[in-house]
This record gives sequence, structure tokens and C-alpha cells, in this order.
Amino acid sequence: MKKLLNFRLLIFISILAISSALIFAACEKKPEPATGPEEATGPIKIGFAGPMSGDAAAYGEIIRNGIMMKIEEINEAGGINGRMLELVVGDELCDPKEAATIAQKFASDKEILAVIGHVCSSATLAALPYYKDAGLPAVSPTATNVDVCKKSEWMFRDVYRDDFQGEFIAKYAKEVLGLNTVAVFHENNDYAIGLMEAFKKGAEEVGLEVVGVESYVKDTVDFTPQLTKFKHLAPDGIFIAGYYQQGGLILNQAKKLGLTSQFMGADGLNNPELIEIAGKEASEGFIASSPFVYEAAGGEALKFKKDFEAKYDGMTPDWMAANGYDAVGIIAKAIEECGADRAKIRECLAGMNTEEKGYKGITGVTFFDENGDCLKPAYVSIIKAGEFVAAEKQMF
Amino acid sequence: MVFDQLIGNFKLGIDYAIEQLINGINIGGIYALIAVGYTMVYGIIELINFAHGEIYMLGAYMAFTFYVMLHLPFPIAVLLSIFTCMLLGILLEFVAYRPLRNAPRLAALITAIGASLFLQNLALIIWGGIPKSFPEQTLPDFFQSPIITIHGNANISLLQYNIFFITVFLMLGLHLLITRTKIGTAMRACAQDKTTASLMGINVNRVITFTFAVGSSLGAVAGILAGLYYNIIKHTIGYVAGVKAFAAAVLGGIGNVPGAMLGGFVLGIAETFGAGYISSPYRDGIAYAVMILVIVFRPSGILGRKQTVKV
Repeated sequence: MKKLLNFRLLIFISILAISSALIFAACEKKPEPATGPEEATGPIKIGFAGPMSGDAAAYGEIIRNGIMMKIEEINEAGGINGRMLELVVGDELCDPKEAATIAQKFASDKEILAVIGHVCSSATLAALPYYKDAGLPAVSPTATNVDVCKKSEWMFRDVYRDDFQGEFIAKYAKEVLGLNTVAVFHENNDYAIGLMEAFKKGAEEVGLEVVGVESYVKDTVDFTPQLTKFKHLAPDGIFIAGYYQQGGLILNQAKKLGLTSQFMGADGLNNPELIEIAGKEASEGFIASSPFVYEAAGGEALKFKKDFEAKYDGMTPDWMAANGYDAVGIIAKAIEECGADRAKIRECLAGMNTEEKGYKGITGVTFFDENGDCLKPAYVSIIKAGEFVAAEKQMF
Repeated sequence: MVFDQLIGNFKLGIDYAIEQLINGINIGGIYALIAVGYTMVYGIIELINFAHGEIYMLGAYMAFTFYVMLHLPFPIAVLLSIFTCMLLGILLEFVAYRPLRNAPRLAALITAIGASLFLQNLALIIWGGIPKSFPEQTLPDFFQSPIITIHGNANISLLQYNIFFITVFLMLGLHLLITRTKIGTAMRACAQDKTTASLMGINVNRVITFTFAVGSSLGAVAGILAGLYYNIIKHTIGYVAGVKAFAAAVLGGIGNVPGAMLGGFVLGIAETFGAGYISSPYRDGIAYAVMILVIVFRPSGILGRKQTVKV
């Protein structure tokens, strides 16, 4: 027995040693900076980095579909200055370590001129040093953590920030839903912790009392101890900060334990998969903030929704698909105006700094401040009969 | 800080403690069912069957497949799943472990880890990376909502009640099987000394096959119960549950069947109370700390006996 345990320890330590050596080796190898424009005839490559498998795979799939819609649209119209767009997909499972690997791959591939990604905030934070070193512009459609764009002048996003989002939900809970006490249930990661802090700040401002905070780690499948605590604290509302898979499990287990509080969440839970995992009954009446709601945007957005459903046999696009679609538009606009070169694309993106100079897409106008952040409104969705729909009362 | 929280949680009262205890018994029962499979196999061929956690995972997937994809009635899907996993366990032993029966123990251990990885990735290929769950209508609604009052505000659902009941029932059955039947006697004989047992006319290979079959069936039951109650079926669940159940088996005394049951419940309850009273993100740490404390004072586990080293 002792021998066996020693052996397992040995295996564990050697795996650690090997992986750290690999990471070191990887960090040592600085990708060379991209040289000038290549012959202007071949396709223009754009990278997309996100979770195509694993816990958050539903995000990756739906965003990639949104991206492909725009790319095909541009290519059918003759491409950008006669050159076709081509997408290179990197699967990083929303995992910071994998994200760093994919980022290096993209940075050292000179043909890739811009990146759409990453999807999760912690993965984006892990990847951005590599883009910064290589001088590769990246536009994230979904990473909402406050620090993401501050850390690098090569990083942009067409989604709002968590400090805004967290405070927004707290205000909505108090002013529209009329709740007086809340508890917070968050995952231990960059995105959820930032969101939880913003929510607490917003709650303090509007006089919403936070009666309990619990957290969970990524691989958890059993949320009953924390939920049992919430059951006995009996808050009016429970705010979940995290991703859809755990969110779905939490809703499902809460129903089994007989919790009656109003559950709320943010953009990470605003994914149709949440309903699949939680079940129709357990998810009924769940409220989530969202960067974008199709019904509220009208015209162009509804056309996109219809085309998307036709193309991907009935899959309903969410806000992420729309942001991915617009991210391609933003990059295409930059290439068209400034040329097919990494540094020139970045200059052009940084130049989109007023509403007039911004990109008008289906999610509204995107323009960047000096960090690369954008100001966009937040909407609220509610689950009714197994579908996310716009809540009756919005707040602007 | 932690201390304040602890006091605050004690103020939640007795009903809260009872509910947390029930949560602990639930997850503990699932660990116990898996741990029994680890411990039985170890008792007889001194191999830690790392692929056992994957049998638990496949149990949940099989039931899902038979019920949701092939539209069979749920009880039949459950029985078929248990049967399939039993065959898988037998196959695993036949293909991966039997050829290495007399090889160095390390070779068998590495094979077990390899089998675990193989089965995990096989599940990923077959069912994909997006988690599955049993539909809400799998069990009637009155089964899943808390309707039985134990004390004051502490309520449990029929499902929770049944998880406990099924676990205890299977444990008793297993105990009777090992202590009262011919094949059980043969198992105990093989656990003591395989060579002598075969000299006495016991078919050792058959006993080992039987052990794998029983352990895998119980693992499959655990997988189905967890799939129903926690609502998640994913190719990685076997790994986490397997590690916990292995810890439970060690805690109870590896090779000792009642010990594995006890270890499972102790670990589950420690984890739940750790999460409910001390700190939710450190629940696993708390569970393992309890295990380490026990091992420090009783190196062979709670019910384990000191083993004489075979020369």
C-alpha cells in the first residue's frame, strides 16, 4: 500500500515537473514580431479561440456559428478588397493553460492578422500577454472581466464590463423585482469573483442586503450543502455568478431541495443549454442580464436570428452569437480602412473612439474608449416555458 | 473570520444540521457504493482498479442511453445499464488485468490507469463533450420535491430517502453474500491466500470474475443514483468520484468491505459539514484532511487490520 501511494506521488510529481518544464519552454520562446504585409492575394486569416469542447463547449459552438455567418456574408460579397476571409479555430476549453498555448500558436502564425476571443475572462487574461508581445490585435465578444482590456493596448471587446453588469443586476433586483435580501453564489474564477464584487457594490448603493456569500469550484457536481444553507438563510433572491453548466445544476438541485427564492444570473448563464441542464420546471422564471436581446434590437438583428436558425437547423442564437457576428464586422471594417496588417488593424480599432467612427452592427454601435472597452446597454431576459425571452420591464 | 462564520452557521439551528447530515449521507452513500468495488478487488488481487470510477460514469451514461435514446421504460433501462456495466467489468478484468496476473504490480497499476483514460475518452467520443442529464419527467414530481418532514423545517424528498434506502439495502445484500454464501466464502478464501484456495479446489479465476461483476454492478447503481439526484452525466465525473471513493476505501481500511461502506459515509458527511459549516470551496480539502488524520493514527484505516508483509 505504502509503495503504491509513493508511486502515485511520484507520478504526480513527474507530471507536474514535465508540465512546468513545458510551460517554461513555451514562455522562453518569444514569437517573432510579424513582418510587413505579404502578397495581397491569398485569404486573410482570422483566429477564433474559445471552448469547442469541455464544460463550456456550448459557448464556443454558438459563437463560431455567429462568426461564420458574417465571414460567409463578406466572402459572398467578394471579400475584403478582393481577398477572402478564412477562420482558424483554436479549442482552449475555457482553460487558462490551454488558452496560453492557443494564443502562442496564433501569435506565431504570421498569416493570422486578428483574433476573435477569447470567450471566458480567465482564458482571455491568460492569453493576452502573448498577443501583446507579438503585436496581434484581439477582439473578445464575451469576456466581461473588468481588467481584460486595461492590461493590453492590443485587446478590445464588443461587450460591456462586469462592474457595470453586476451593479445593473443589483439595481434591477431592488427596483424592478422589489427584493430586499439576496445571497450570492459564485464560482472561484476571475469572471465570477469580479462580478460578485460588482454586484455587492451595486447592492450596497441601492440598499439591497446581502445575507450570505457562498462559492464553488469548477468541477463541483454537488451543490446541496451551499443550497441548504441558502434555504435556511431564506433570502428573497439568489444571484449566481458563473457559467451555464454549473448554473443549470444549481437550479435543478435547488428545486429538489425546495428553495423558493428568485434566482438571478448574469451573461454567463444566458445560454439555452442552461435550460437543457436545469430542466424546464426548475429554470422557469430565472432572470439573467444580457448584453443583447433580439426582440429589443429589432430589424437587422431579427433577420440575423432568422438566417441563423435556418442555417443551423433550428439552433436559437443567443447574445454571444450576435457579438461574435459583430466582432467579425469590426475587424473587417478595420482591415478595409487601414489595410491587411496586424499593427494597422490595431490602429484602426483604436481609432473607432466615437459613436460616429464606431461600427454599426446588429448589436448597436460599438466604439472603444482608451482601454479598448466599449459602452453598451444591458438588457434583462427571463426564462418562460423553456426559453429565454426579453423581460417585460427593462432598465436603461 | 472562519471562526465567525462557524458561529454564524451554528446559529442556523438543528434543522439545518439535520439537512446537511442528509446531504452528507446521500453523497456518502454514493461514495460507499463505489468504494466497495475498489476494496473487494484490492482484497483479492491486490490491484487498485483505477478504471472503476469510469464504470460508475458509464453506468449513468448507459441508463441515459437506454432510457432517453432508445425510449425503454426507466426500470428496464436501469437493469440493462447495470447488466452492461457488469459485463464491462468482467471484460476489463479479462482483457486488461488477467494477462498481467503474475506480472509486477506496477505493470497492472499502470494498465489500470490506462484503462481509465481509455474508457473516459471512449465516452467522450460516443456521447460528446456536452453534459447529459435525465429529463425532469424521469421520476414523478412528488418523488423529487421535499415532502417528508423529519424535524421542524428539515424536509427530505422521496428520492433522497430512497438513495439512502437503496444504498443500505445493497450493502446488507453484499454483506450477506460475502458472509453466508458459497461464492462469498470462496472470495474470502482467495483474499486470504489464492494459492491455497486453488489447491482446495476453488476456481480462482471464476471468483475474480465474480468479484469484478459485483463491484461493477454496484458502481453502475451509484452512477445512476448520482445521475438522477445531481443531474449530471459527463465523461469526467468518474475521475472525481473515483478518487473520493478510493480515499473512502483507504479510510475504512483497504480490502475491508464494511470499512469501505463506513469510509464512504464518513467522507461524504465530513465533506458536507465542511462545506456547510466551515468553507464551501475547501470542502474537498476538509474531506481529505479527515482522511489523513485517520490514516496518521490508524495507518491501516478505521476497520483495517495490520497486514503481515508477504515474502
